Amino acid sequence: MADRTSGGRGDVRDLRDPGEGWDLLPAYALDAVDDLERRQVERLLDADGEARRALDEFRETVGAFVVDTEPPPGLRAATIAAITGDVPAEAPAPAADQGRPADVVPIERARRRRRWSVVAVAAAAVVAVAIPTTVAVQARQEQSQLQAQSDRVAQMLADPDARLVTSQVTGGGEASALVSGDDVLFTASDLPAASDDQDYQLWIVAGDDITSAGLLDTSDDSSQALVSAAAGEVVAMTLEPAGGSEQPTSDPIVTLQA
Amino acid sequence: MSGLRQTGPVPHVRTSEPDALDAALAACAEGDSDAFGPVYDALSPSVFGAALAVLRDRDHAAEVTQEVMVEVWQTAARFDATRASARTWAITMTRRRAIDRVRSEQSRRARDQKDLDASVVGRERDTVAETVDGRFERAAVRDCLESLTETQREAVVRAYYGERTYREVSEDLGAALPTVKSRIRDGLIRLRDCLGVNHG
Repeated sequence: MADRTSGGRGDVRDLRDPGEGWDLLPAYALDAVDDLERRQVERLLDADGEARRALDEFRETVGAFVVDTEPPPGLRAATIAAITGDVPAEAPAPAADQGRPADVVPIERARRRRRWSVVAVAAAAVVAVAIPTTVAVQARQEQSQLQAQSDRVAQMLADPDARLVTSQVTGGGEASALVSGDDVLFTASDLPAASDDQDYQLWIVAGDDITSAGLLDTSDDSSQALVSAAAGEVVAMTLEPAGGSEQPTSDPIVTLQA
Repeated sequence: MSGLRQTGPVPHVRTSEPDALDAALAACAEGDSDAFGPVYDALSPSVFGAALAVLRDRDHAAEVTQEVMVEVWQTAARFDATRASARTWAITMTRRRAIDRVRSEQSRRARDQKDLDASVVGRERDTVAETVDGRFERAAVRDCLESLTETQREAVVRAYYGERTYREVSEDLGAALPTVKSRIRDGLIRLRDCLGVNHG
């Protein structure tokens, strides 16, 4: 584009309607207008596609002035951490070169936390994604597991290697996970009743993958669900729109490490 | 430094590969954070360069670079490749933020230290504006700047580096406001045509 020869065009177009903001477009592209002028130009831009195109040309012209310069190497990791939710986006960048190799990014840690922070955004973008069949299968398994649950729970309680993890639930109540092998008995007590348009939903978080472990029946004071989670995976609970979601749409109110 | 940047697992995308960059931006718009690394590598030198030109301080420029790259990630869905290159889009965001920062700093200093502000900040900026022409690396930009009249060049370059509004430039130059307006306008139009920028 920059190689195209100028054809001496432009004078008529550039001088028309000088009172309507056209003559301010170059200064607007340079951010050299005051607030009054900015509003005048923006009214023109709203109304006139030709003006928008002319502005785009002036902006590209200004862009040609910019001499590309390598930013400090530590900034890359800091910025990626900011977008993945590892640190608040407002956190100031590292002041200057810290000698940290640019490709050492704590991506696994960043990713896992980021999931929850961008999940609302991502959910809006992926409404067309089909529910994985495994989720549906698992939902049916939940039903049969409920039948088999008492037997298995008895086994779990008898398991000398079983571990119990407990945590407060954000918003009230307490949750515990009894972990035996790959089985987790999730128990929540004193949960506030979910509103009519919401359900408690359980999730298994395995690195990057979040899989629904079904809705939590909260009709009793103490609610239990038997789910499968390998060591190192996390059982999480969110409040979701009634009926549940394919992927969490809100931050977890409790997470328990299996 | 550039060696380190290219050792990552993701393919390197340059602003000279607009299709790959546009595709990476589209992936960012879908929330794919893996696509952000190549976008950062392609755009951050332009963003940092644009911020540095306005702020002339590496720490401030680094902060603005991070803010802009986060904004690139957050607003990737709004990027319209039919209107501007990704580089121009990012530079536009950068200049706006950098200039806002300079102006709020100026008004803060004006409140704090009215007299010192005018003498110190004003002198720094004049020096930069005078030595500016030699700093444009792109020969085309340098040649085109030479095709401007001296007064046009000064007005445009001041607006680019000095970051003054028309009113401030006209005060600096002791020239009437309409005169400065037409210098900036005519200067940038001439640069646009000289560089062959044409979206028509």
